[in-house]
Amino acid sequence: MDPQLTSLIVPPEEVAHIDECLARLVDDTGGNYALLLDKSGQVIASNGDGNRQDTTALGALIAGSFASSQQIAKLLREKDFRMLLQQGVRENLFIALIEDQWILTIIFNKGTHIGLVKVLTKKATEELASVLERVRKQRQTRDEVLGSNFRTSMEDTIDLLFRD
Amino acid sequence: MAIINVGVREIHCKIVYYGPGMCGKTSNLQYIHSQVPREAKGDLLSIATETERTLFFDFLPLDLGKVRGFSTRFHLYTVPGQVLYERTRVAVLNGADGVVFVADSQRDKLQEDIKSLQELARNITRQNKKFSEFPIVLQYNKRDIPNALPVPVMDKYLNPLHWQRYDAVATTGVGVFDTLKAISKLVISKL
Repeated sequence: MDPQLTSLIVPPEEVAHIDECLARLVDDTGGNYALLLDKSGQVIASNGDGNRQDTTALGALIAGSFASSQQIAKLLREKDFRMLLQQGVRENLFIALIEDQWILTIIFNKGTHIGLVKVLTKKATEELASVLERVRKQRQTRDEVLGSNFRTSMEDTIDLLFRD
Repeated sequence: MAIINVGVREIHCKIVYYGPGMCGKTSNLQYIHSQVPREAKGDLLSIATETERTLFFDFLPLDLGKVRGFSTRFHLYTVPGQVLYERTRVAVLNGADGVVFVADSQRDKLQEDIKSLQELARNITRQNKKFSEFPIVLQYNKRDIPNALPVPVMDKYLNPLHWQRYDAVATTGVGVFDTLKAISKLVISKL
């Protein structure tokens, strides 16, 4: 089947693995917040301080800036940039790519050493890469997960909501 | 690729508005943002130049609420239309589940429409997706202007694949929701 005709179905047990992995990363680094995004900018999971505003917009912007850096890499004839660091006055962002599909982001402050973040993020990306591999291999179909009437219900909702 | 997150029972889809500069992509999102109920939308985020031209993208998250137990979210993006930003368009197109191609109906813009559509085909193919099977809806915008090209002429050059096509005046909202409905349903049908 063509790639655009398939969705990435993340089963509950893998979501639990992802949550665990993000929680460990935040704990072990002393970071503030960890986010797992799809390269399309959608947030798959997050962990850390609960006061983050607008995770959705954050996901879109991080994925956008990462995708943009990939284009810079191409212009420089690099294969890609695997990691990105953005330094702020209060907080820093460390962004790492997982198998060209997911993006792991950790937000941390001055109390956390960047070296530690790099090492532990690398470990977390390896772990998440195996989760991704299992997710890609799993064989549940859309209808098994959503039920066969989902599409009709969805179309009704679209008609109801998307109007002047 | 859409994501069905069974753990938290969420579905995410990404829709990108593509087309040449000044064709009305941002106007589409602005109109949608102005009309959708508050509880169903997030803020419209625009990364634009001082002159309000899109520099990176516009982003509008829409939350359709729970459908059969799943929270469903559509994320709408626009690309910057100006020719020089092709690499940025590639970045925004990354992982899109569907595209609205907004064509400018002005007679002297046909060439730009054609070039932009060719570029879209190239960029979709580069993502290892089959362009002929990719979910696309066409919008002929600015139908209200006096020198608008006749629809059959635009069809001839822009719609050889017979996508669903809608006439629109994005600034006043004509055809905007018809287009959005069509692409949303198309994307859902391919989940």
